[in-house]
Amino acid sequence: MSIRSCGPKLLALSALLALGATELQAQAQIISLAAVALGNLGVTIQSGGIQAIPGIADNAVNNFPSPVVIQTAWNLNPGQTNTVNLVAYFSLPAQAMVGGSTQIPSSRVLGRMTTGLPTTFTAITQNGIGGVGTAGGSLNLFSVNIGGANKNASRTDNLDLQLNLVGFPPLPAGAYAGVLNIRAVTQ
Amino acid sequence: MYSRRMNALLAATALFLFGATNARAQVGLTSNVATVALTATKAATLSVTAATSVATLANITDGSNANVFTPVSLTTAWNLTAGSSVRLVGWFGTPAQALANGTDFIPSSKVEGRVNAIAYAPFTGAPVGAVGVAGGSLQLFSESVAGSFLGSRTDQLDLRLDLTGTTTMAGDYTGTLNLQAIVQ
Repeated sequence: MSIRSCGPKLLALSALLALGATELQAQAQIISLAAVALGNLGVTIQSGGIQAIPGIADNAVNNFPSPVVIQTAWNLNPGQTNTVNLVAYFSLPAQAMVGGSTQIPSSRVLGRMTTGLPTTFTAITQNGIGGVGTAGGSLNLFSVNIGGANKNASRTDNLDLQLNLVGFPPLPAGAYAGVLNIRAVTQ
Repeated sequence: MYSRRMNALLAATALFLFGATNARAQVGLTSNVATVALTATKAATLSVTAATSVATLANITDGSNANVFTPVSLTTAWNLTAGSSVRLVGWFGTPAQALANGTDFIPSSKVEGRVNAIAYAPFTGAPVGAVGVAGGSLQLFSESVAGSFLGSRTDQLDLRLDLTGTTTMAGDYTGTLNLQAIVQ
């Protein structure tokens, strides 16, 4: 067999080899993609963040002048969160409000959220919830179940506050101050 | 083939762990802490309360100091933020006419007072601070409040007419004794 006669065959083989080289494949690599939008939860005091009673009356119920308007907003995964709770609490329940050496305990400060859980004035003497709040100095303001319909939502509530001095020893004249903390927590 | 299965298994494991971590992250998720500042002010107070607003003397005896009115119980209460003493002052608006019967007058120098059975003294003193009338006032007590700005006391106020050397016209004599406390 002469080369001349084999020429077409060699040409065809070369083409086949070239085609084979083009179809050579590397091993497939799998890249798994995962992205998570972290849940978020925020509390904003829209108004009433500063409450002042200009003249305390002894042995009486003293209303703070205006409601604390609280907006709670969340964006959560309902499969990973059952509820959102809003908690009000004093860091030191025995010293909710202090004036000089006189202390007014949290049992004398009452809260009401007509759109929440304490629909009547209730002393801020509950325990914390989910790690938020203090023992004996907290009040659960609302608990809302999280589902598909409200996984990304907000609500606005009014918190009314009172200072109940009925039966409390007469307060020395002076100014009494305290800080009420408001915080939300998922459960 | 083995390598593909291993990769898929690793990916599934990673996703599972990632999801599990994320699930944990959303339980116990807390918000920021918003705060409400609470202030309440108890105003300073000072008050005098008389158990009765009337003291009477049924029959005046001229030339004598045995003209004692019915006693009056006074409660003085204070709740202060400053000061060193609480003083109770009694005074007549017009000392020359402490009691009057028409145009007949008994001056404040003939009216004496005391609290808690100390010695009687006439209402002829000066004002205490801004309380009282010159020549027609009597400080009934002064109590230190250095130890406590919150307190009260109840005293019996005795009043009498000292008419020694004096003759009065028959008739009804009336007058008003003012009582006021002051912090100094």
